Amino acid sequence: MGRGQGVLTATGTAVEAHERAHLSEEARRARRRARASTLGLASSPVGYLVLFFLVPVILVAMYSVGALTLLPKDEYLSLQPWRDLLFGSIYLGVFWRSVQMALIVSVGAVLLAYPIAYVLALVAGGRKYTLLLLIIAPFLTSYLLRVLALRVILQEEGVVNSFLRTIGALGADQSIGWLYNSRFAVYFVLIYVWIPFVALPIFVALDNLDLALLEASSDLGASRWRTFRSVTLPLSMPGVIGAFIFVFIPTIGEYITPLLVGGPDNFMFGNAIQGAFLAGFDWQFGSAMSMFLVLVVMALIAIFGRYLNVRTVSE
Amino acid sequence: MAPPYDALSSEGWGGVMRSELDGLMRTPLGRRALLRYMGAAALLGGSGVLAACRREATRNTAGTTPTSRAPIDEEPGDLKVFEWAGYDAKWIWRDYAQDGFDDPKFAFFTNTEQAIAKTAGGYTWDISHPETEYVQDYVELGLIQPWDTSLIPNFVDLNPALEEHGQFEGEQYNIVLDWGYSGVIIRTDHVDPSINSYSYLFDDDLEGRISWFDTPAILQQAGLVLAIESSIWDMSAEDLQTCKEYCIEKKKNLHSIWVDYTQMWDDVRQDNVWAAYSWQDTYAWLREEVPVQYIKPKEGVLSWAEGLILFADSQNYHHAHEYADAWASPEVGTRMTNAWGYGHANTQIDLSDLDQDLVEVFGLDDPIAALSEPNSLIFRHLPNRDSYNRAWDEVKAS
Repeated sequence: MGRGQGVLTATGTAVEAHERAHLSEEARRARRRARASTLGLASSPVGYLVLFFLVPVILVAMYSVGALTLLPKDEYLSLQPWRDLLFGSIYLGVFWRSVQMALIVSVGAVLLAYPIAYVLALVAGGRKYTLLLLIIAPFLTSYLLRVLALRVILQEEGVVNSFLRTIGALGADQSIGWLYNSRFAVYFVLIYVWIPFVALPIFVALDNLDLALLEASSDLGASRWRTFRSVTLPLSMPGVIGAFIFVFIPTIGEYITPLLVGGPDNFMFGNAIQGAFLAGFDWQFGSAMSMFLVLVVMALIAIFGRYLNVRTVSE
Repeated sequence: MAPPYDALSSEGWGGVMRSELDGLMRTPLGRRALLRYMGAAALLGGSGVLAACRREATRNTAGTTPTSRAPIDEEPGDLKVFEWAGYDAKWIWRDYAQDGFDDPKFAFFTNTEQAIAKTAGGYTWDISHPETEYVQDYVELGLIQPWDTSLIPNFVDLNPALEEHGQFEGEQYNIVLDWGYSGVIIRTDHVDPSINSYSYLFDDDLEGRISWFDTPAILQQAGLVLAIESSIWDMSAEDLQTCKEYCIEKKKNLHSIWVDYTQMWDDVRQDNVWAAYSWQDTYAWLREEVPVQYIKPKEGVLSWAEGLILFADSQNYHHAHEYADAWASPEVGTRMTNAWGYGHANTQIDLSDLDQDLVEVFGLDDPIAALSEPNSLIFRHLPNRDSYNRAWDEVKAS
């Protein structure tokens, strides 16, 4: 290698190094800009979460251990509410009853919503959004009104019992006892209320399905059932799991429906929390129950996230 | 194979947002740092809220001294009334309006515990309307001040048997104005009215036809039936246990535990329920439709009494007294009894203006005796309220 070549090479290397440094500086600036814009974009939702979720949860947690008190009789810095909850005679049993209810309602709602979502996404064709709107339309009315309307249908002198009496299936003084003021009524009303909301995430998952995959499955000789089982269902599982969580979490703390149609034997964990805060004026105990519910739900979400990861399911 | 939702989400604005957020999670700021910042922000926010609450509580307990009170024409006059829905009816405060004062502004609550909590959190008003058993809670939280009854001309006509329940430590914190019984409505075509006892609510012969209200007062009614030794307002642990077990045993007889008053009316009307915990207005509404009788049990009828309380920091002290005086008039009492089926504390109501059937059921011919013990047992502050509530939870969960 001659001297001139060496100089050229050295000069080239210096230029490259300068360019690399320049590029690196540019890249750093770009990264800083990206981070600043990301932080700017994220600040509103994060601020919202902090203000309306984290702060209230922290306040409730503080009430539950007496770091914050409302009434003079409340115990300052005390774990007694937690002891009452964890070692009291009824509350964990009531919680388990609520978990069972939430499981049954979630599974029931998903099972009933899946065919609706399937028909809308894969059968209804160009009318799917119109049909979707029709299904959702009644649910734009108040939740409470819908529960009260169902009460009119299910109660002793309601539409169902009156109809059965009219056609002679029931005697004049008879009624179907389990239709109302029963656990069946709670399950029925909750499943009815949740179905359209559950159908939506499943519909989205099915609507985004690559139809070529279904054709490929058919071309390879799979039956319709086999195609559904091996292609459609696995690919729609993210929607199904999302829908399940969407119902399960709020239903664990549900209290209005058991209160209105559940009868005397359907006292749920949500009712205990509501009673402690509103009727009982026992914020410490109500806060302990609320925090327990929050912690259990967070643990369940973590478990769902770990074992039912949407990517794992779909791959 | 990449799932379709992945491909979709990596395109368009959704994809950009997602990659930005992914980027945020992967940058040195990272997920942990973000969570740490959120936690710190939450603590700061929480501290701010707490500090604000503390300032509010301090301010509330300060009150206003009588010497610093402005005369009525120097007050703002924008009276704010924190009420039950329906009590904003103009006939209740007609005299106040006729005196030329501005119409009050109303805000509503659905139960007293909620109202106390909201007020303790900084919500302000001039007048509110709780049951007498909560007066002690309001006073202990420094939320209310006593009335000057000399500024309420109608006060001298109010039932002393009721007004004593509006007092705390010798001061009149609650001008008791409306009241009612927590007795039993029975269907007389199925149930013998001569028994005249709270035992209707626990009777095995009425299995499937009984409706309780969702309240720990059921334990007290059980206590009256069982004639427990300790006071029903401060039961011993043994007596509370006895009442709880009795309620659990008798729960099998229930048709429902009502929370919706009109639903209970429908159940009585439709013959689904033959005996129900109820206030006396149920009788006023149903007596012409179905055979019912309102029972004021021989053990003494549990009774509720409500009245007006005055906010500790009220800037409308004299306006509030004018408003309370309007409420306390006998004309309001007459209309309240005839229209709503509720009792009113004014003893000068002209009985000839009232439905005579209601006069008898309410005991209005001698209201002082009717609302005094042992005939009436007006709800009181419970020193061990939490124990009652836990016991009631156990009954409902059984």
